Amino acid sequence: MNGYAVRPLSRSLETFGAWVLGIVWVLPLVYAFWTAFHPPAYSTDFSLTAPLTVANFVKAWQAAPFARYFVNTVILVTMVLAAQLVLVTLAAYAFARFRFPGRDVAFALVLVQLMVMPDVLIVENYRTMTELGIKDTILSIGLPYMASAFGIFLLRQTFKTVPRELDEAARVEGCSPLQTLWKVYVPLAKPTYIAYALVSISYHWNNFLWPLIITNSVESRPVTVGLQVFSATDQGIDWSIICAATLMTTGPLLVAFLLFQRQFVQSFIRAGIR
Amino acid sequence: MKVFAKAGAWFLGVVLAVVAGLASAQTPVEVPFFYPVAVGGPITKIIDGLAADFEKENPGIKLKPIYSGSYQESIAKALTAVKSGDPPVTSILLSTDMFTLIDEDAIVPFDEVIKTSDDRKWLASFYPAFMENSQTGGKTWGIPFQRSTVVLFYNKDAFKEAGLDPGKPPATWTQMREYAQKLTKRDASGNVTQWGVQIPSSGFPYWLFQGLVIENGTNLMNQAGTQVYYDKPEVVGALQYWLDLVNKYKVHPPGIVEWGTTPKDFFERKVAMMWTTTGNLTNVKNNAKFDFGVAMLPAEKRRGSPTGGGNFYIFKKSTPAQREAAFKFIKWMTTPERAAQWGIDTGYVAVRADAWDTPAMKKYVEGFPAAAVARDQLPFAKAELSTHDNQRVTKALNDGLQAALTGTKSAAQAMKDAQREADRLLRSYK
Repeated sequence: MNGYAVRPLSRSLETFGAWVLGIVWVLPLVYAFWTAFHPPAYSTDFSLTAPLTVANFVKAWQAAPFARYFVNTVILVTMVLAAQLVLVTLAAYAFARFRFPGRDVAFALVLVQLMVMPDVLIVENYRTMTELGIKDTILSIGLPYMASAFGIFLLRQTFKTVPRELDEAARVEGCSPLQTLWKVYVPLAKPTYIAYALVSISYHWNNFLWPLIITNSVESRPVTVGLQVFSATDQGIDWSIICAATLMTTGPLLVAFLLFQRQFVQSFIRAGIR
Repeated sequence: MKVFAKAGAWFLGVVLAVVAGLASAQTPVEVPFFYPVAVGGPITKIIDGLAADFEKENPGIKLKPIYSGSYQESIAKALTAVKSGDPPVTSILLSTDMFTLIDEDAIVPFDEVIKTSDDRKWLASFYPAFMENSQTGGKTWGIPFQRSTVVLFYNKDAFKEAGLDPGKPPATWTQMREYAQKLTKRDASGNVTQWGVQIPSSGFPYWLFQGLVIENGTNLMNQAGTQVYYDKPEVVGALQYWLDLVNKYKVHPPGIVEWGTTPKDFFERKVAMMWTTTGNLTNVKNNAKFDFGVAMLPAEKRRGSPTGGGNFYIFKKSTPAQREAAFKFIKWMTTPERAAQWGIDTGYVAVRADAWDTPAMKKYVEGFPAAAVARDQLPFAKAELSTHDNQRVTKALNDGLQAALTGTKSAAQAMKDAQREADRLLRSYK
C-alpha cells in the first residue's frame, strides 16, 4: 500500500532534481547568449529592455580570420576521427579475438598510455614533429592522437561482448576475418562508435595547448587558438566579444548535438560511458 | 709581380664578397618572432603591420611574427621549442622570465650584439626602472618593450558625492583608508553597495602586493634573484595594512578579488578606487561612464610600484646573422617614435624618456593627461619580483597572500611559511 504512495513522490523528486541540474548546466550557455547579443554595458545588467545588437559578432569576426580557423578545425577533427576509427577498430579486433605472442604485453602498454597525460609528452611530440618536418601543419596537431588508447580499450571491451556464435556462424558462411569484422562486429558496436566519435570530436574541437605550441600560422591554427586573442589578461576580459566568439565557434557543435541528441544519449547509455 | 698578386688577391676578395653578398640577398635571413597578446584591441594586426614595414626597409630580413597566446602560454611555447632544438630567434616574454631563461640556457645577453657607441646610447635611453628587470650579473638580457606599472584609478563622481575633493586623490596609506571609509556605501540592511577600494588578488596577487611592500620601504628580493624577503617586518606590515582594509575597516571586499572583473566593478560603481595596471588606461577611458582620475599609488614610507610587462629576448640557438637581424628589428621597434606609438595604441608605458618628447605623444598627453601618471611614477618604481625558479618562488608568495586574505592564516604566519618554501627552492642557486 505504502509503496504505491511513495512512488509518485520519488518520481517528482527525481524530476525536480533533473530540472535543477539541467538549469545549472545550461546557465553558462544562457549567459553567453545574453552577453553576446547585448552591448558590453549590459553584460551583468539583465534588464529585459536592454537593446539587442549583433555588433559583438561583427567585431569578433573581424578581429581574427575565423573562417579559416573554422575550416582548419573541421579538417582536424575529421582527419583525426577517420584515422582513429580505422586504427582503433583493427587494433581492438586483434586484441579481442586473436591469440598472438606478446598480445597481453602489447595490450598492457596500450593501457599504460591511458595513464599518461598528453600534456607531459608535449616536448617529445614537438621534437618528433620537427624531425618529421611537419611542424606547423594540421597533420602535426592530429598525428599524436591518432592511435587512441582509450578507443582501443573501449572497442575491445565492446567486441568481447559479441557472442562467439555469431563470429563462428560468419566463418562457416565463408567470411574472412576482415569480412567478419565488417559484417558482424562493426554493426554491433555502432552505439560505442557514436559515443566514441562524440568524445573524440569534442576533445579535439576544444584542444588548445598542443595546437598553440605546434602551429605558428593562420593556415594551420584551429579556432581555439584564434579565440585566445580575446582573453587579454592584462586588462580584464571583454565578455561580450568573447561570448560572441565562443558562440560562433561552438555553434556548429551545438546545432549538431541538438539535432542528434536522442541518438547520442542512447548510445552513451548503451556504451556505458557517462 | 708581388704587387700584381696582391691586387689579384684583393680583386678576388672583392668578387667573393660581392657574390656572397648577392647570395645572402637572395636568401633572406629568417627571423621567427614570438609575441603574446595581453591587452585588448587589434594587436595582431598592429604587429603584422609593423613587421611588414620593417621588411620593406630591410629587404634582406624575413621576419615571421607568430602569435603565441598569453604570457604563460608564450613561455611554455618558447621553452618547448628550445628543448626540441627549434626555438624562435627573438620573442617578447615577461621581464620576470629572465632568470628562468638564463637557467634554461635559452638566451644570449645583448652585450654580444651591442657594438657601436650608437648602440650603447640606445641602451642607455631606457628608463632605469625598466632595466632593473632586464639586467643581472652585469649583463643585459632583455630590452623593455611593453611595460607597465600599477596605478590607482578613482571615480571622481563618487569622490564628489562623498564630499571629497576630486582633484586630490589619496597620497598616503592613511588617506587612502580614510577616503575608502567615506566612499564605502551600505544599504539599509547593512550590505555594501559600493566598496571604497579594491586591490585584485587572483592570479598574481604578488604584483599588486609588491606595490604595498615598496611603499613600506623595502622590496621582495635581491637583484641577483637568489634571495627573497617575504618574512621581513615591513612585508608583514604591508600585508597587515591590506588585511585591515578588509577585516578591520571593512572598506575592501573580503576574500579573493578577481583581477579580470575589477575594471568592470569600477565601471559599474561597485568600487570607487581600484589598483590595476596602466595597461588598463585605454579600457577605462573607453568604458567608464563617469569622470575618472588616475593617480600614483599612495605612499607610506615612500611612493612606489613594481614595474611589469614584457621584454625582448634573443635566443641562443641562432646564427650570428639571425641575431644581428633580430637586434636590428628590436632597435627599430624601440625608436622614440615607435615606442610612443605603441604606448598610445596599447596603454603601455612608453619605455624611454625621449619617446615622451615626440609630437604624437605630446599631443596624446595633452588630450589625456592621465597617460603621464605612470611615467611620473617611474622614478619611484622598482623591479618586479623575479628570481631563479621564478614560477615556484612566486607561487609560494601568492599562496601565502591568498591564505591570509581568505583568513586561513595570520599575516605573519602566512609570510613565514612562504619564506620557508622560497628558501627551500632557492637553496641550490646560492
